Amino acid sequence: MIKLALKDIQLFFADKRALMLTVAVPMALITLFAFAFGGAGQTKGESRPKTLVIADEDKTEVSKNAIAELDSLKEFKVSQTSLDSAENLVKKGDVAAILVFHKGFRDSINAGNKPPIEFKYDAAKEAETGILQGALLGNLMGIIGVKSSAKSALEKFDSENPTMDSATRERIHTQISNNFSSSESKKQSDSFIKSTPLIAEEENSPGLIHAVAGTAIMMLLFSVVGMGASLLDEKQEGTLKKLLYSPIRPNSILFGKMIYANFVSAFQLVIMFIYAKLVFGLDIFSHLAAILLMILAIGYACSSFGVFLASFSKSRQQVQGMSTLIILVMSCIGGSMIPTFIMPVFMQKISVFSVNYWGIQGFYDIFWRMLPINDPTFLSRILVLFLLGTVLNFIALQMFKKNILKIA
Amino acid sequence: MISVSNLKKNYESFQALKGISFDIKEGEFFGLLGPNGAGKTTTISIMSTILEPDEGSVSIAGFDLKNNPTECKKNIGVVPQEIALYNDLSAYDNLLFWGSLYDVPKDVLKVRIDETLQLFGLFDRKDDKVKTYSGGMKRRINIASALLHKPKVLFMDEPTVGIDPQSRNLIFEVLEKLHKEGMTIVYTTHYMEEAERFCDKIGIIDNGQIIAQGTLEELKSLSKMKETIVVSFENLSDSLYANISSEWEGVKRIENAIHFFTSEVNRDLSVIILKCNQAGLSISNIDIQKVNLETIFLSLTGKQLRD
Ligand SMILES: Nc1ncnc2c1ncn2[C@@H]1O[C@H](COP(=O)(O)OP(=O)(O)OP(=O)(O)O)[C@@H](O)[C@H]1O
Ligand SMILES: [Mg+2]
Repeated sequence: MIKLALKDIQLFFADKRALMLTVAVPMALITLFAFAFGGAGQTKGESRPKTLVIADEDKTEVSKNAIAELDSLKEFKVSQTSLDSAENLVKKGDVAAILVFHKGFRDSINAGNKPPIEFKYDAAKEAETGILQGALLGNLMGIIGVKSSAKSALEKFDSENPTMDSATRERIHTQISNNFSSSESKKQSDSFIKSTPLIAEEENSPGLIHAVAGTAIMMLLFSVVGMGASLLDEKQEGTLKKLLYSPIRPNSILFGKMIYANFVSAFQLVIMFIYAKLVFGLDIFSHLAAILLMILAIGYACSSFGVFLASFSKSRQQVQGMSTLIILVMSCIGGSMIPTFIMPVFMQKISVFSVNYWGIQGFYDIFWRMLPINDPTFLSRILVLFLLGTVLNFIALQMFKKNILKIA
Repeated sequence: MISVSNLKKNYESFQALKGISFDIKEGEFFGLLGPNGAGKTTTISIMSTILEPDEGSVSIAGFDLKNNPTECKKNIGVVPQEIALYNDLSAYDNLLFWGSLYDVPKDVLKVRIDETLQLFGLFDRKDDKVKTYSGGMKRRINIASALLHKPKVLFMDEPTVGIDPQSRNLIFEVLEKLHKEGMTIVYTTHYMEEAERFCDKIGIIDNGQIIAQGTLEELKSLSKMKETIVVSFENLSDSLYANISSEWEGVKRIENAIHFFTSEVNRDLSVIILKCNQAGLSISNIDIQKVNLETIFLSLTGKQLRD
């Protein structure tokens, strides 16, 4: 088994073209996507201020102060306009969301009631604006000093965003709670406003994580198909027959391929993350164990997918034709191309039917949600990937015995 | 050493083997001689465990193939009809890999690889990728890769097809050496010269059946005929041939010639010429051939070995 795998690895490194495809092409694509999603080209440690369009209908000292406070946060650049024109900006798609201070803001504050603040956003950008909203809520609570619990803020957020996907929701919840606790403690030390970076753009921007994880997984799927297809090459070239003449167990031919595919997959993913570290400064060292675990899980699921496809096919041409479509569909729904959090809800629901989804979410967990390695959410993704791989391997083994071992 | 009994194999409705039986003693060089599609590869595939027969049994080196395939496999080396090597690996790495599939200690294996490369005259090219090799060189490595575990039994399926004379001679030399060293060899071919040159025993196979087997002498004595008189004509037609064949036992027509099988050339030659003249045939050439596997095959099947 190991011998068979080693032979394939040797062949893999002998084939310079295959090597290029597994290393250079994904690197190029990652670079492209990293720029496209805005993960690259920003100075590390600095967040880009978000333009925040505010319509002040209250027009009192209290509302003006609150707005000024917001403006003083380094995350925001406030631009004020009338409610009508602000709403128009959203409708035209120029901004994703606006914040409205309705009439009666001052009175509510003074009376200690819930202030009439409204967050209006572009329904098509729900997830994106959700993040902004979460951050705003937290900061605003601090600014206006409403004595309400973080819980009520969370509830308010939830009731306003019933359809948001759970991952994004989690992320925002954490942010809201953080803002609360720190803004409350800061108030005691008389510093009124807490400055929390809004979106985790300080080191690992979602754009960059998306570009690296999404692209690496998609490209990995393409290369595992090639590795799986090498089984069919062996059948075509007659070397499979020759392997069967020898006393090795026939199943170990398939297991050898699986080991080989797992090794190259892990190799390819490791290279991609090192590349992301060197070129885009993705912080891989703080999460090394989790990243490696994720790489193994994704490598396993993807290699199984490659062997699985091959076990159903007759020739390399057939697998490659079939796989291109499957991979493109999976990558599309699974968020390798477009992040799932900006997809409509029904798309987010079907995205779970792709390897890409679980892998990408896993990397979001690591880099963006900053979940620790023993977090159940993170571990559940690992589990799903391993289960998926095992099921695919099992089916592949049956099909291999049925289709491929039959030389006649 | 090898016992094959009543092998039958159908590919869907096509009967590829219709009950093949033969026995091979230790150290014997057994030739399976037959035309294209006779069932040689099918027989070898069954004997090398990669194809299951519908009926019949095989035992190799005392092990039953069905019950004990792994022990059988350890004792056989197979040289398939098609060259099967990893083109992107060097000859040396190919041999190292194929050899490693058997229980040969690595240091022993390395020594054997060097010896084998030398034997096949490819030691100097051992680090070149197989894809840079000529057809004949690949064939040599293909054979070498089946020898590294020193099998008791070697199966070779038409190992000299499409090969240059130099490689062919080298392979023949190696075969003779292996034979001398006592290896049991099963060799399929449709070249009767090869069968005549090497084989202790020959099985003639056609249409999935062994139609005759034995030593070359036995096969020759099987046929009462000693010679073939081959008469070529300028104007042979179907009706003229029908005329002749109705009057003479043991004739075959091949294109413009009629083969007359005879036990007495001196007696029959003049009779044949006379008959042909009477029938209105004009003779363009007469050739007298000693009986050989080709003529035996022809007289048994009415077909030529080679298409
Ligand atoms: N996989 C298959 N499916 C259907 N028919 C087959 C298959 N393999 C072989 N045959 C048929 O079985 C017969 C015997 O084939 P086999 O390959 O054993 O012949 P052979 O004697 O080795 O011929 P050759 O000299 O051409 O190698 C042929 O008629 C062939 O067409
Ligand atoms: Mg054949």
